[in-house]
Amino acid sequence: MHKEAVIREPLILGNDVTYSKISDDVLHTIEHAPTKTWKILMTIASIIALWGVCCILYLIGTGIGVWGLNNTVGWAWDITNFVWWVGIGHAGTLISAVLLLFRQKWRMAINRPAEAMTIFAVFMAGTFPMIHMGRIWMAYWVLPLPNQFGSLWVNFNSPLLWDVFAISTYMSVSLVFWYIGLIPDFATIRDRAKTPVSKLMYSLLSFGWTGNAKAWQRFEEVSLVLAGLATPLVFSVHSIVSMDFATSVIPGWHTTIFPPYFVAGAVFSGFAMVQTLMLIVRKAMHLEQYVTIKHIEYMNIVIIVTGSIVGVAYLTELFMSYYSGVEYESYAFINRFSGPYAWAYWTMMTCNVVSPHLFWFKKLRTNLGFTFFMSIIVNIGMWFERFVIIVTSVHRDYLPSSWSMFYPTWVDIGVYIGTIGIFSVFYLLFLKYFPVLAFNEVKSILKSSGERYKNMSDEDFKKLHPVKKIN
Amino acid sequence: MANSKKYWKGLEQLNEDANFLASSQNEFPEHLPVDEFLGDAASLESSSTSRRDFLKFLGFSVAAASLASCETPITKAIPYINKPEEITPGVANYYASTYFDGNDYAPILVKTREGRPIFISGNNLSTLTKGAINARVNASVLSLYDNNRLKNPMANGKDSDWNTVDTAIKNELANSKNIKILSNTIISPATRSILFDFAAKEVHDEKGFVKGRQLEGWVQYNPISYSGILNANQVTFGKAAIPTYNFKKAKTIVSIGADFMASWLDSLMYLNDYAQTRKPDNDWMSKHYQFEANMSLTGTNADVRVPVKPSEYGAIVAQILNKLGGNVSADSTKYDDYIAKVVNDLKSTLGESIVICGSNDKNVQILVNAINNLLGNYGKTIDLARSSNTKAGDDAELVALIKAMNAGEVDALFIYGVDPVYTLGEEFKSALAKVKLSVSFASKLTDTAAVCKYVCPDNHALESWNDACPVEGYYSLAQPTISKLFNTRQAQESFLVWKGNTTPYYDYLKSYWDKNIFTQQTSQLFFTDFWNKSLHDGVVEIPTKITDVAPFNADLNIAYTAIKDIKSGAIEIVLTQNMGVGDGSGADNPWLQEMPDPLTKVTWDNYVTMNPAEMLDKGYNINLGQEQLANVVSVTVNGKTVENLPVVAQPGQAKGTIGLALGYGKKVGNMIEATGKNAYPLVSLNDAGFSYYGVATLVDVTMEYHVAATQTQQTIMGRDSIVRETTLDVYKKGNKDDYNPAHTLLVHENGEAIQKNVKEIDLWKAQPVENIGHRWGMTIDLNTCIGCSACVTSCISENNIAVIGKDEVRRGRIMHWLRIDRYYSSDHQEVGAIGETHEKTKLAENIGGIAAYTQMERASDNPQVIHQPMMCQHCNHAGCETVCPVAATTHSNEGLNMMAYNRCIGTRYCANNCAYKVRRFNWYNYKAYSKFTEVNPSQDDLGRMVLNPDVVVRSRGVMEKCSMCVQRIQAGKLEAKIASTKVQDGSIQTACATACPTNAITFGDLNDTTSKASEGKNHNRAFRVIEEVGQQPNIYYQTKVRNLKNNEA
Repeated sequence: MHKEAVIREPLILGNDVTYSKISDDVLHTIEHAPTKTWKILMTIASIIALWGVCCILYLIGTGIGVWGLNNTVGWAWDITNFVWWVGIGHAGTLISAVLLLFRQKWRMAINRPAEAMTIFAVFMAGTFPMIHMGRIWMAYWVLPLPNQFGSLWVNFNSPLLWDVFAISTYMSVSLVFWYIGLIPDFATIRDRAKTPVSKLMYSLLSFGWTGNAKAWQRFEEVSLVLAGLATPLVFSVHSIVSMDFATSVIPGWHTTIFPPYFVAGAVFSGFAMVQTLMLIVRKAMHLEQYVTIKHIEYMNIVIIVTGSIVGVAYLTELFMSYYSGVEYESYAFINRFSGPYAWAYWTMMTCNVVSPHLFWFKKLRTNLGFTFFMSIIVNIGMWFERFVIIVTSVHRDYLPSSWSMFYPTWVDIGVYIGTIGIFSVFYLLFLKYFPVLAFNEVKSILKSSGERYKNMSDEDFKKLHPVKKIN
Repeated sequence: MANSKKYWKGLEQLNEDANFLASSQNEFPEHLPVDEFLGDAASLESSSTSRRDFLKFLGFSVAAASLASCETPITKAIPYINKPEEITPGVANYYASTYFDGNDYAPILVKTREGRPIFISGNNLSTLTKGAINARVNASVLSLYDNNRLKNPMANGKDSDWNTVDTAIKNELANSKNIKILSNTIISPATRSILFDFAAKEVHDEKGFVKGRQLEGWVQYNPISYSGILNANQVTFGKAAIPTYNFKKAKTIVSIGADFMASWLDSLMYLNDYAQTRKPDNDWMSKHYQFEANMSLTGTNADVRVPVKPSEYGAIVAQILNKLGGNVSADSTKYDDYIAKVVNDLKSTLGESIVICGSNDKNVQILVNAINNLLGNYGKTIDLARSSNTKAGDDAELVALIKAMNAGEVDALFIYGVDPVYTLGEEFKSALAKVKLSVSFASKLTDTAAVCKYVCPDNHALESWNDACPVEGYYSLAQPTISKLFNTRQAQESFLVWKGNTTPYYDYLKSYWDKNIFTQQTSQLFFTDFWNKSLHDGVVEIPTKITDVAPFNADLNIAYTAIKDIKSGAIEIVLTQNMGVGDGSGADNPWLQEMPDPLTKVTWDNYVTMNPAEMLDKGYNINLGQEQLANVVSVTVNGKTVENLPVVAQPGQAKGTIGLALGYGKKVGNMIEATGKNAYPLVSLNDAGFSYYGVATLVDVTMEYHVAATQTQQTIMGRDSIVRETTLDVYKKGNKDDYNPAHTLLVHENGEAIQKNVKEIDLWKAQPVENIGHRWGMTIDLNTCIGCSACVTSCISENNIAVIGKDEVRRGRIMHWLRIDRYYSSDHQEVGAIGETHEKTKLAENIGGIAAYTQMERASDNPQVIHQPMMCQHCNHAGCETVCPVAATTHSNEGLNMMAYNRCIGTRYCANNCAYKVRRFNWYNYKAYSKFTEVNPSQDDLGRMVLNPDVVVRSRGVMEKCSMCVQRIQAGKLEAKIASTKVQDGSIQTACATACPTNAITFGDLNDTTSKASEGKNHNRAFRVIEEVGQQPNIYYQTKVRNLKNNEA
């Protein structure tokens, strides 16, 4: 068995951790009645979700006019929210695919909740391009379906169409990846289930997983293949989303730097959201032994790196707008930082460029409270980044006669808050009924990276695991 | 033995009584009281309905009723039984007619479809207006289908019928001695004749001229009065008349407060002529000076505009006269520098200039007459002999009428074409109460109609026969283009009926023309031919010789002394009319209310205009926006107050003055959509007549007010590829690079950085429309576009554009496909010390950096203005086309950017990616959603009649935009195909091009090298808006040339 160097900090803390304790700890919520806190949170989330659904129905029933958009600003909160949610949906796949390929074992403690977050976030993201359509009932026209309209088909020149493909591919691959990982865990729950209903449900969900060596070998292979498939998707989705803007002619949108800039921003916001969720889950579900300060710190380091990339991108944009000599381009950026939406720009700059650098201090990046606070700040910052790109570019473009402002209505706000509610409902259901950690994978590193085993002398280890001689 | 025992029912059977035998055959031998029960025996007997039939019918009707209840409602499409000869469904008919509402006169062409008038354009056959119309004329077609029109005559505030009303009025008339008619100016000779028969008497002066004040029994009243001019001409030339002006010959135009392009006198007769003089390629270009307080539409088009206070108008006129060598010793003014220039130019163009003043003060007008007389303009550019009839209202006569009414001397008053309770207020209302018989002809329940004893609603002009004589010798006819929609009756017919004359007005009119007008001409031998031709052409022009007026004679010093008494004040008000509602005639027309004011771009409201510098001093908000509210003030003039008026910044407004538009705040019945505030109370009326200027006091009101403007940005922000302008001397030098340089970009080629013309740089393959087939396009001359917005309403009318109301306009969602962008110059474009020079300073040289941008957003205190019509540019490499995911917007093989509404799913990506922001999204279902019921005429069956059946009414959630009137293009091509010819240049006209009074918009085939449009495209002044974006629009603009000198040149 591979044994990790002692100087590496353990990924599983505590001297009492055993395989069965891991199962017990992770499955505690599934095997017990919901707690009062969960019920309260679920009630609040459901109310917000319901409110969001009502706003969406009102929007669809009455018209896009219930939002604050106008002739000049054709997209505002709708696409801002879309890009924001897609960005959040980046971390999960990055963690489970890219980190898997790089053999980063610390990912095992966070990949499951991050992937769940990805799925739900992409689902929320997908709602916005749907409901932002003037005629949502014709939404299926964006699919290249054979039809009876003669030569009418989709327009492959349109980045919106690329979005359709990119998002749906990402959504389905992420879902499959997530589900494959869930199968062994479902099987464990099935085996431990006490009531016939849950036994039935989990045995259906676990697809008849037996846990034999062949199954595990195939599992590993499929995971690797899917990780290979998902990795380019991590980069393609947000690159394509960025092309909605980059291929246009609007100053501030028409920028070749967008694809890498958007991907970095997405990872940045995704990790922040993982932090927000994990810090709560870890505390509420007593998973501190598995999701350690070290994990939090690693993620904070990712936030510093991506935050810096984003910062460089912002400054590059600014420089290029000046260097290009295009008056519209330079005005677009001058307007960003000095125009009527300067407050949004400076919020973005503070949250995304300045604040992550506080994580250079070890004390701060290992402080849970501060990390939680920062994760919220980063997500506010990233929301404003999209708002700044979308609204402040388009609200003052070429002809000053059409310059306008955007003011959100209660429906704009309601739909946005509502999607957070819907997301929370899904996430709370996930926490209650799904294994929150990939505990079968966590078990695989217990003996190599667990504190108990790391601190064990070689003799004790040998005693615990006597090497059988085979004659 | 068989039992043959027999039982009798009674003795009758035994006796075999005949009656019994007969009845015993019946089912019920006894008599049944069916007849009595059902009542009508005779009809019952004649009916053959048996009990079985009854059950059959019952069953059928039950089945039919239940079937019918499952069906969709039946839409009524009823074919003609006898098809009228001239109507072919799908083919439009055009009728020549005339528009005159007491204010604007225009011979028009009415387009009807299946018997419904749907579009009004100008009649090019008229040499007076040359086809010019304005937005009010154009939009008047909508008022025909107004559901608020009275549908029946009214007596004592209740619906009645014509018989009752006629009898009652006739009875009361029999007992009335002093009968008076109060009307707007009537220019219809036939109507005048009827009115003379009815109550009035024409009095001629010693020279044979008819004088407004000498029409006994009949007072003509113009809410916007020009009696100052009438009286001045009476004094100076012995003829109380309005002269006609020939702007075509005017090399120097000096206007002191006269907004002659929008509202002053016969503006429609001037526009085309004026535009002719503004072409820099001609031998000469007119020089236009404007001294004014308000920034008027005319002021925006002037070469030199000087903001002055209205109390100074007289002094300026006097000083001009003085400097010209007139016999008046005027004091110097603050504007002597400008006046010296004006005088200089006037002296060099003797007999080729026009000096006019907007004041209604007789004495000022006397001095204006003296100036024009001194310059020798009479008989050349100004003709008083062949005078205009359109403004005959006499203020003094009105004052006398009100006095007489108050004294109880008036027994009967007939109010026709005016709404004096609205315009004159309580004063008139209380006087009217003392009149026994009051009759209004209002077609709606106006303020006046509501207090009149009888309301005899007049037909709409489009339902009426009429004639007009706007200028001596120039006649036109109006003909109905639809049969009466409601139980209304033409006023002329009412007058005839009450006089006991049962001739229909049509017959009366025809015989009047037979007797009076046919006899003047010689070209037609028979009246029928003359009548038919006149009706076909709409206009008849028989400018026979006319007696000249007396030579100029006036004591100028009396006039000058009187001018010195004009009161001045710290804040002076100018009451104006705006392009939309005019004097109030357009107040209940949603198209006009929603048409943005050409300058402030505000809709649905009137407001106080003030110079932004003064507003900043007072701490008012000068930037309007969706959520940037206007401050509110109350304005008091002569002790009368109009409360709660929003204040809107108007760069160029003279400091110390405010402007306010009349015509708003008009209530019609119980309609709540009255917008704005009625400013007529601020018009002062005294023995000298109406005054639209006054000394005002403002009181701040602690409230804020939402003002809905379609354009909130004021300046062009130093961007020189959106609009281009130059000065005449630079243009005349002929170096294109000086005034319209090709746009170049720095590119790297073969390792070198070179400047390359943007036209040569393209990522895309050329559209296959270059040089093959048609390529539709347009050229718009910024020099002749005056910003009047007639094209805007014309486009609304042609393309069924939804009205969305004030709140939605404020939210930036106006649906207009064609808008007019207005840009003020900012301080960065330095206008020379006295407005003579025009120099654009580069941003970097002046104030470096970012602060400059903030300053550039503010217009200068007296800015130069440019109007730019903006609609879909039909780009050959359109940004919108590539981004639509479902290919709902594509390029046609004729160069049009097309929009397939059915295919649109409403992502709005195209609108975002449109560099010109001309795409319009249907945010709501405007034709049904409750928010728009009050404002959108398409929400009732009547209002929908104005819709153009050739253009789809767009549904919610789809994008729309200018189609370059593709329906007209298709119709034109079809016509050419049927005639087996090529499409002739000019045979297809877009709605905007037909409406443009100055012909600034030229539509045509750019592939046809001989077309006017391609001529314009190849012109040296032609440029395309933001060409460097590379979208290759098919709309070309032509550089504006101001008649100024560039101080660098």
